[in-house]
Amino acid sequence: MRQLWTMTASDLRQRVRDKSVIIFGLVVPLALMFVFNLTIGSTNDITLKPLTIGASVPADDALAATLVTALAQVDSFAITVDEVSADEAGARVRSGKAQLAVVVPDGFGDAVRQGRPAVIDVTEGDGSGVETDIALSVMQGVLDHLSASAVVINAGVQTGVARDRLGALAEQAATATPTVTLTEGQASTEQLSTSGALVAGQAGLFLLFTVGFGVLGLVAEREQGTMARLRSMPMRPGLIVAAKGLVGYILGVVATSVLLTVGSMFFDVSFGSPIAIAALVLCAVAAATSLMFIIARVARTAEQASIAQSILALVLGLAGGAFFPLAATGLAGRLLDLNPIAAFTRGLGITAGGGGLADIGVPVAIMLGFAVICLALSRLVPDRGREL
Amino acid sequence: MRAALAIAGVELRRFLRDRSNIFFVFIFPLLLVLVIGSQFAGGGGNGRIAIAGDDSALRTAVASALENDGVTVSLTGADAVRELLARGRSDVGLVISPTAAAAFDAGDGVVLETITGSQQGTQAVLQRVRTAAAGLAVEKGQVAALVGAGVGESQASAALADVSGSMTRPSLAVVDIDRIAQEFSGLGTFDLGAAGETLLFVFLASLAGSSTLIQTRRLGVMARTLAAPVSARQAIAGQSLGRLTIAVFQGAYIMLATSVLFRVSWGNLWLSLLVLATFSAVAAGAAMLVGSLIDNDGAASGIGVGLGLVLAALGGSMLPLELFPDTLRTIAHITPHAWAYDAFAKIQRHDAGLVDILPQLGVLAAMAAVLLVAGTWTLRRSMARAL
Repeated sequence: MRQLWTMTASDLRQRVRDKSVIIFGLVVPLALMFVFNLTIGSTNDITLKPLTIGASVPADDALAATLVTALAQVDSFAITVDEVSADEAGARVRSGKAQLAVVVPDGFGDAVRQGRPAVIDVTEGDGSGVETDIALSVMQGVLDHLSASAVVINAGVQTGVARDRLGALAEQAATATPTVTLTEGQASTEQLSTSGALVAGQAGLFLLFTVGFGVLGLVAEREQGTMARLRSMPMRPGLIVAAKGLVGYILGVVATSVLLTVGSMFFDVSFGSPIAIAALVLCAVAAATSLMFIIARVARTAEQASIAQSILALVLGLAGGAFFPLAATGLAGRLLDLNPIAAFTRGLGITAGGGGLADIGVPVAIMLGFAVICLALSRLVPDRGREL
Repeated sequence: MRAALAIAGVELRRFLRDRSNIFFVFIFPLLLVLVIGSQFAGGGGNGRIAIAGDDSALRTAVASALENDGVTVSLTGADAVRELLARGRSDVGLVISPTAAAAFDAGDGVVLETITGSQQGTQAVLQRVRTAAAGLAVEKGQVAALVGAGVGESQASAALADVSGSMTRPSLAVVDIDRIAQEFSGLGTFDLGAAGETLLFVFLASLAGSSTLIQTRRLGVMARTLAAPVSARQAIAGQSLGRLTIAVFQGAYIMLATSVLFRVSWGNLWLSLLVLATFSAVAAGAAMLVGSLIDNDGAASGIGVGLGLVLAALGGSMLPLELFPDTLRTIAHITPHAWAYDAFAKIQRHDAGLVDILPQLGVLAAMAAVLLVAGTWTLRRSMARAL
């Protein structure tokens, strides 16, 4: 045990003195978090903003007026409808005073009633987004309703319904239509905020680099010839490997904890229960460290090891959503879920949404399963560096 | 000049022979263009909905109404719906209970449970669901109204079908004059990603390659080169030219591969190559500076990768500059990436000529000049330094 600790402590001292572990493990991910947060973080505001619409509606057109009424009734955010001329509506959108221009043509009501083409010109301006989408969908709903009323009245004419009863047909149709009521519930959220996802993603990606500074030291020792000297010492060879693993593990846990802590302080992110987060970090570092043992066996030289490590880190990081979330469903989604970085980010999503230790079973199982499989594989794959 | 060209040639050959570059230079950039392109182009433009419930007339009616509105519909179980929403893989969930399905079949009122996610766009998809739901049973009401007015049921249905077929429905004609939508209209799926990725990888590969400059110094290659009848100026020119050649090679490869594989349009090829060459000169200068200021190759590659990624993110190579807030967009122009991005945008989207991109080329050339002069000076000094 004393030998294990001596080797681990000596390696840790070397790594801390080596600037590269600080650069790769802390400085680069923090710099990336900062820049990503500045750029991507600024684009994802989910609160709905007030919408101003410049609308040109022909006077004395009752059907056209229902459009404006329906827009004003939207209650999830404020919609201001300014009734202006068609030219003015266009000018307001171009100048940015309104986000949407709606121009209802003259004779719109009659055209709808008779089933002749009636096209409402809508112009979306700068700053259009979710709010304008909602307004468009509301208007589409009104048009569907107007069209249905026209259809039933014309069908009444065709089937010989008395003229004095035609006017009431539309209303009767609306009343007789079975109502479809929507009840609205909120899903429990297991998602990180945009900033949270950036912090978690970068911490996960760079974890794969940080743990390498420990485990891949095996390859470097072999290359420098110090491995042979270590082996000649009176101790079990397994201790050398264990020491390297422990160095990687400690570096990984420290770097990830620092990144999550600093990231949540800087970018105002809360990841939730510290105990659950700690469990996730320990499991993620175990998964990452075990992957390095495979590389340490397969790589002949330190250069090969560092290349294999970078490739795996980037592929797993990209697939785990370190740069942007991948929206895959079905089999591809399930495969992506098996990635330890994705499981780590998902676990942090669960804890951020209020989940505790009991709720993170799936991500923990994925990360530990990954660790066990990698460790088993690292015993099975040929040790290509042995001849060195 | 011949000596410099020979050194540059050796640098390029060493770069191509390095098997590790197969992944980073040839495969990874294309993989990233593919992933980014498919992420931002794919999927229904009008949001995603997950519907839970057994197969029923109601489910079919809701699903087809939403699909007609451009919403991507996935049919699954109730638990799966909650998981999809919780993980942000769907915007809205809709649960159709057996009671609701039976009530719909019987022509009665229906209550449907919607569940909303918490991401951007959810509210717009929810509104689409409301609009679709309002139109679901319209025909039943129409028939009932006509029957109430004394028309036979089959005659009413036939007349409604006939009238629906002959009438034109009122519609919305939407024109988008949003600055960003205008700017991106007409761009291919991969066009935007490809320009950004090219810049990212040219700069990243150059900076990460700065460690070879350190190895060259450490292994005494520079000293031996100078022992040959080669002046220090020629040796340094060879190194700069080597870095430049590698950067141009990397960029030209991505441009060629994306235009062949993903049909990315690069506009006027010669102008695009000119932008690439000028940007590569900036990258080469930066690589020389890093490679001669730092003596530890591990630290140099760390700084190289970090700086390469940070500058690319800030310069619009990961998220288009047009989506940046105004202040940040101004700040972004301290990076060469932003200037090259602007130049590529002008060539790709607006058929710009040489004169139109002169300001961008001028800034890039100035950056390249400063960095190359500084890089040459520090490299010369570093040669005298013991490693």
